[in-house]
Amino acid sequence: MRQTFIDIALTILFVLLQTTLTQYLAVWGLSPDIALIWIVYLALRRGQITGTVAGFFTGLVFDLLSGNDGMLGLAALSKTAGGFMAGYFFNENKTLQTLGSYRFILIILSVSLVHNLIYFVIFLQGSGAHWWQAILLYGIPAALYTAAVGLIPTFVFARRALL
Amino acid sequence: MRRLYEFVFLFKEYLVVGVLLAVSVSLLALNDDSQIRNIRSVAVVSVGTLQDALGIIPNYFDLRRENHVLRELNLTLADEVNRLREARLENLRLRQLLGLKERGEFGFVAANIIGKNLQLLRNTVTLDAGERNGLRADMPIVTENGLAGKIVATSGRFAVAQILYNKDIRVSAKIERSRVDGIIRWEGGSALALQDVAKSLDVRAGDVVITSEYSSFFPPGIRIGVVASARGAEGSLFQSVEVRPAVDFSRLEEVFVITSMPDSERIALEHRTRE
Repeated sequence: MRQTFIDIALTILFVLLQTTLTQYLAVWGLSPDIALIWIVYLALRRGQITGTVAGFFTGLVFDLLSGNDGMLGLAALSKTAGGFMAGYFFNENKTLQTLGSYRFILIILSVSLVHNLIYFVIFLQGSGAHWWQAILLYGIPAALYTAAVGLIPTFVFARRALL
Repeated sequence: MRRLYEFVFLFKEYLVVGVLLAVSVSLLALNDDSQIRNIRSVAVVSVGTLQDALGIIPNYFDLRRENHVLRELNLTLADEVNRLREARLENLRLRQLLGLKERGEFGFVAANIIGKNLQLLRNTVTLDAGERNGLRADMPIVTENGLAGKIVATSGRFAVAQILYNKDIRVSAKIERSRVDGIIRWEGGSALALQDVAKSLDVRAGDVVITSEYSSFFPPGIRIGVVASARGAEGSLFQSVEVRPAVDFSRLEEVFVITSMPDSERIALEHRTRE
């Protein structure tokens, strides 16, 4: 129970970090999705349902914060799918090994790509813009940036795994 | 019931994701609901306040880009300022020339200096106006500050003029204050010499020197310069008077040519008398 509260508190913290501080890490208008890294971590650490639920609520907060763009539920949808996908790699016996290795980076990268794909395909519906262009220009670079930022927790977990 | 429970337990992940995805899609379909708009407003205001508070933290990449843009802008503006300053100075010079033109009773032709021929003691300048503009040899050239020289040769589109820093030029001059006459010559250096001024005559440093009525080529009253020093040389009846020219020849860019020709009848009579 205590762990659940900590996870909820940390989820709120990462949402706040994502909405406030990541703008300072923006390069060419692209920011890393720290909240998604947290969702992947939760899914790998606590399981698929936790990752899915965390993804839904995190995405919902982002939706509420994104202003009246008529896309409420889009981030919830894409992050729910992301959390669910990350949960497939959950293995209770190898959590630290996964988090402290390149697999964590690969999982973040693939989840981020799927997340961005869902997001852009729905977001650009009816706009006349090509979703694949958006993926090439924003989706893939943003996923790579997110995966690069994911190196930081990977190193931390790798050190912890060695101890 | 037990089978249903087992089914739910077996596929709980899919059920959870299915429900949450369904909620998400429902939200996408309910975007215009007024309650949702209110919730959004509250959320945006709350986080907006926090973002505003964190706005003091600088973004390194943005600062770098902004710095780069500002540097470029600075260069462009500096260049523009230089060009404007140049234009302002030119405007000032031309206004002064125009003022001179309005004051005088002579005809003027404006000309730009397109060449300077500085050959030791025979300094001349080339003007971009010539016979087509009505210029002839012996016409004086002036600037807003005073006398600059006179034309010595012309072609269709160009003219060559001696400046006061030329050993061949002589100008009948007088001290504006005391009306003492003399001849302006140049023999090297930065000062002109006012010659043929008797020791007993009243000449002081600071006196303004102008062209006199006795000149055959230069209209009277044009400023030549200011007396820098006047002293009596030993063993001579005359003073040594140094005159600082009114025109700065190192910055000469535009001139006016006074198109009034010397009085030919007067010149012919003076020649006849001498002969």
